[in-house]
Amino acid sequence: MEDRSAADAAVMERGKKIGSTGVGGGALVSGSGKRAFGTVLAALILCLIGIMAFSIRLFSVIKYESVIHEFDPYFNYRVTKYLTKAGIYEFWNWFDDRTWYPLGRVIGGTVYPGLTITAGTMWWILNAFNIPLSVETVCVFTAPIFSSFAAWATYLLTSEVKGRGAGLTAAALLAMVPSYISRSVAGSYDNEAVAIFALIFTFYLYVKTLNTGSLFYATLNALAYFYMVCSWGGYTFIINLIPMHVLLCIVTGRYSSRLYIAYAPLVILGTLLAALVPVVGFNAVMTSEHFASFLVFVIIHVAALAHYIKRVLSPKQYSTAVSFVITFGMAGAAALIAILAAMVAASPTKGWSGRSLSLLDPTYASKYIPIIASVSEHQPPTWPSYFMDINVLAFLVPAGIIACFLPLSDSSSFVVLYLVTSVYFSGVMVRLMLVLAPAACVLSGIALSEAFAVLTRSIKYQDLSESAAVDSTATLNSTNENEASVKEVKDKAPKRGKKKTVEKEVEKKRKRLLGLPMEASAVGILLLIIMGSFYVVHCVWAAAEAYSAPSIVLTSQTPDGGLHVFDDFREAYAWLNHNTGEDDKVASWWDYGYQTTAMANRTVIVDNNTWNNTHIATVGTAMSSPERQAWEIFQSLDVKYVFVIFGGLVGYPSDDINKFLWMVRIGGGVFPHIREPDYLRDGHYRIDSQATPTMLNCLMYKLSYYRFAEADGKGYDRVRRTEIGKKYFKLNYFEEVFTTQHWMVRIYKLKPPRNLVSAVKSKKRTQKKKTTR
Amino acid sequence: MGRGCAIALALVLFFLAIAIGEDDRVSDLLRRQAGSKDGIIELDDTGIRHLAASANRPYALLVFFDAHHLRERSGLKLDELRGEFSLLARSYIKNNAGGSGESKIFFCALEFQRAQASFAMFGVNALPHARFLAPGSGPLNASESMMELNDMVRSAEGMAAYVESKIRHKVGAIDRPPLVSRNQLLLVAAAAIVAAPYVLKKLLIEGKDTPFHNSKLWCVGALLVYFFSVAGGMHNIIRKMPLFMPDRNDPSKIVAFYQGSGMQLGAEGFAVGFLYTVVGLVVAFITHVLVRIKNKTTHRAILLVGMGVCFLAVRWVVALDHWKTGYEIHGYLPRGWL
Repeated sequence: MEDRSAADAAVMERGKKIGSTGVGGGALVSGSGKRAFGTVLAALILCLIGIMAFSIRLFSVIKYESVIHEFDPYFNYRVTKYLTKAGIYEFWNWFDDRTWYPLGRVIGGTVYPGLTITAGTMWWILNAFNIPLSVETVCVFTAPIFSSFAAWATYLLTSEVKGRGAGLTAAALLAMVPSYISRSVAGSYDNEAVAIFALIFTFYLYVKTLNTGSLFYATLNALAYFYMVCSWGGYTFIINLIPMHVLLCIVTGRYSSRLYIAYAPLVILGTLLAALVPVVGFNAVMTSEHFASFLVFVIIHVAALAHYIKRVLSPKQYSTAVSFVITFGMAGAAALIAILAAMVAASPTKGWSGRSLSLLDPTYASKYIPIIASVSEHQPPTWPSYFMDINVLAFLVPAGIIACFLPLSDSSSFVVLYLVTSVYFSGVMVRLMLVLAPAACVLSGIALSEAFAVLTRSIKYQDLSESAAVDSTATLNSTNENEASVKEVKDKAPKRGKKKTVEKEVEKKRKRLLGLPMEASAVGILLLIIMGSFYVVHCVWAAAEAYSAPSIVLTSQTPDGGLHVFDDFREAYAWLNHNTGEDDKVASWWDYGYQTTAMANRTVIVDNNTWNNTHIATVGTAMSSPERQAWEIFQSLDVKYVFVIFGGLVGYPSDDINKFLWMVRIGGGVFPHIREPDYLRDGHYRIDSQATPTMLNCLMYKLSYYRFAEADGKGYDRVRRTEIGKKYFKLNYFEEVFTTQHWMVRIYKLKPPRNLVSAVKSKKRTQKKKTTR
Repeated sequence: MGRGCAIALALVLFFLAIAIGEDDRVSDLLRRQAGSKDGIIELDDTGIRHLAASANRPYALLVFFDAHHLRERSGLKLDELRGEFSLLARSYIKNNAGGSGESKIFFCALEFQRAQASFAMFGVNALPHARFLAPGSGPLNASESMMELNDMVRSAEGMAAYVESKIRHKVGAIDRPPLVSRNQLLLVAAAAIVAAPYVLKKLLIEGKDTPFHNSKLWCVGALLVYFFSVAGGMHNIIRKMPLFMPDRNDPSKIVAFYQGSGMQLGAEGFAVGFLYTVVGLVVAFITHVLVRIKNKTTHRAILLVGMGVCFLAVRWVVALDHWKTGYEIHGYLPRGWL
């Protein structure tokens, strides 16, 4: 209750601040009128924040076009399209035969359906209102819309912790924090787009339940958690963070019935609901990621029992009872722990998935899981990453942490815990910067708002504080008295509501007296505003320049200042769509699987959902093999077309030749005759005249550089910055059918199998050749 | 006929002699290997000549070049590499004892002071360095190939992969001693069990005034975690970055700041982490502590100093970031304003 009243006071304080700074002459308006005005102003500001959050993410649409970005979003888009066409039940049971040929993939049970269902519902509602937007448009704008929601959720969370002013500041900061923009620009149609909103909203409802002790909010909290589970694998962060906070509260002697109501229903309802999501299912009770919540569930009951007994018994009896229970309870606890440890030790990864383990033991991934360690977003960030992704918030967060400790409440301790865990995790994996961003915004919002409050107050109540300074001893005495009376009031506050107003008055008076010199305060405000402006400039720059490229369409500046567009990918996919048979199978490296199925609507062998390593290794082996063996492998997979991404002509660095060593490694992992050293000359990967014969004869080299020397006469590769090793060669088993404008995608068709006679002949011929050698 | 017999006999004797010589060398090596503590055979100039010079060795040698006087140079990490090398040696010996791989390869080390001639002979003029001498090859410096001690093969596992590719024989699992030994673990567990009732009792009965209830402690802890993370501390640990790096052009100087955004040095990270944190601390001090002081002059002085510090810290970080990453952040002002 104390915290609640403190929070109330804080809300009032902020409300007043907004009212007074907004009008400049707040004294003329009556108390309730001021509050109403503050509410309206806050609502207006929130609207503007929502608009800003939405519009700052539209750079990608303005600079490029309304198009879905990158790789995974294409899969989500395709699933959404299926959902809107076939309906929810069909979607739930969808077995997709257009991918992972000939295995296929169960989609309904292996995706987090939150994003898809959200966008599908939005499309359905729009259509119900006769607004005929295409599914693609809805998908493109889902992320910006949910960014606005996330900003509003941040407002709710922060104002629950430190009042409305801090809430508004935090919302404004979150609306444009670069880290979040990077995952939620228009077109970036991925799980994180809705998950961050779900994350913040779940935290808000948890804190709200904690502050009110209301079962209504507890139920809503479980539902929000369910939405989070539907949306993103990151939900495990919530189901570990909240138990951690509960444990922290119990250990630091902050157990209350509100805590119980906030936690117990969440575990029970949340776990049941989570188990409903097919992709989670029984994992919700079987994997170690969830064990912490059950353990804390037990602990909170023990704590509740202890509190009850403490209330019933006299202190002496209680102390005896505790000693008794501890002595005999230890044996039981030891047995329980032994059983748990044995259970955990029995599973090969000690019950933890590799990704979670690499968070707990940061060096784990680099030692044991190269595939996780190799992904760039799993790298540990350096300090510039923080500056790039949360910018000046990095400076303000410590002030926010300290503000949360003055005074420490259940809700403020939760925010601090959220920040500390997320900042540690972000230190391990740069990708988790996304989870840090909301925490950083909340705490920076608190810090900024408190700093502004102090500085503006100093200017506004200058006279008061000056007169106070004249008779400093008297003031000190009076403030001490005030503090004493505040304490007294606080102690009795729950019982005597009337004294609340007295307390507020005293608090207000005391705060007015705490001022700083006017001119210095003015300079301080100016500096804060400069800092804020710098943040805005940085965020806009990041949104416009760094995070808005869709990667499916590329642009470059021409020397005369114009814009050159590389639209090769869509050109190639469109070609495949229009010129190949409906059921033809197309092979490529897995990166392009989702795009091929979504845009060309053709069956692929492997895609970005890398669930079957052997299948990927087969394609890797084919790409690393000489032409004939590759042809045989592809033939056995019923493949008709193969395409490679080639950047050598225009200097596009993320092409297949640069990814080729991964194909070799993954292929060699399953098929030992592919050996990486065969493709390296003295440990160096090269494609020039020094390249190894294995390299120069493998399919990837041939398909990438076929007829390349004819294009510029020299065969100069602009990515590798060298002339290629083998310039003129013929293809015997593949024929080039299409190469895009900038040669970025090269599509080949497998030649049909020769009839038996000529095949035998050619075999004999090759044998002869071998013998003559 | 007699002549033929004599030649045959001579040949047989010759090969026998060689074979015996070989056997001698192998058994000698095995003996020395068993005698060494870390599985590495310490050699000097004569030793390496004797073991490596002959044309048809049946075994391979992996030679680690070591120098005691360079051990203090932290940048070279010789100690660490030598440790990994010995791990490899011990694991190989353990996994292949009595098997076909027993005398296939031997792991040796040459110390600079005792084997200067060999260093010259192999042309080694920079450390760390390791050479693989294939079996059966003739003159010393014709066939050897260098094991590149780059990032990939700094660990025993990486070296094992290299060795496997060279001798075509499995090294087997690297037997790395656990960080915390079993006894230590048991000790910690016992301590925890003994301490648990006390802690529980304190928490449940007294319910306050334990370190857990001290919010200042939690606050400092939170700030420390924050400082450590934004300083890229995890990056330093995972990548094992040194605090400083000697300058490539001028080894007497040290480089504390690395240009390029993918990597950072330890000291650099902590310096910037400190700048990140100090601004927040100053702001918190001004908003929560300074206002309670009742002296206008102190107010002015501290505020000015504080704001100066903040301003400089932010500017410094901005400048450093610009220098390190090369990003040019700019606003989008209307053309007419410029």
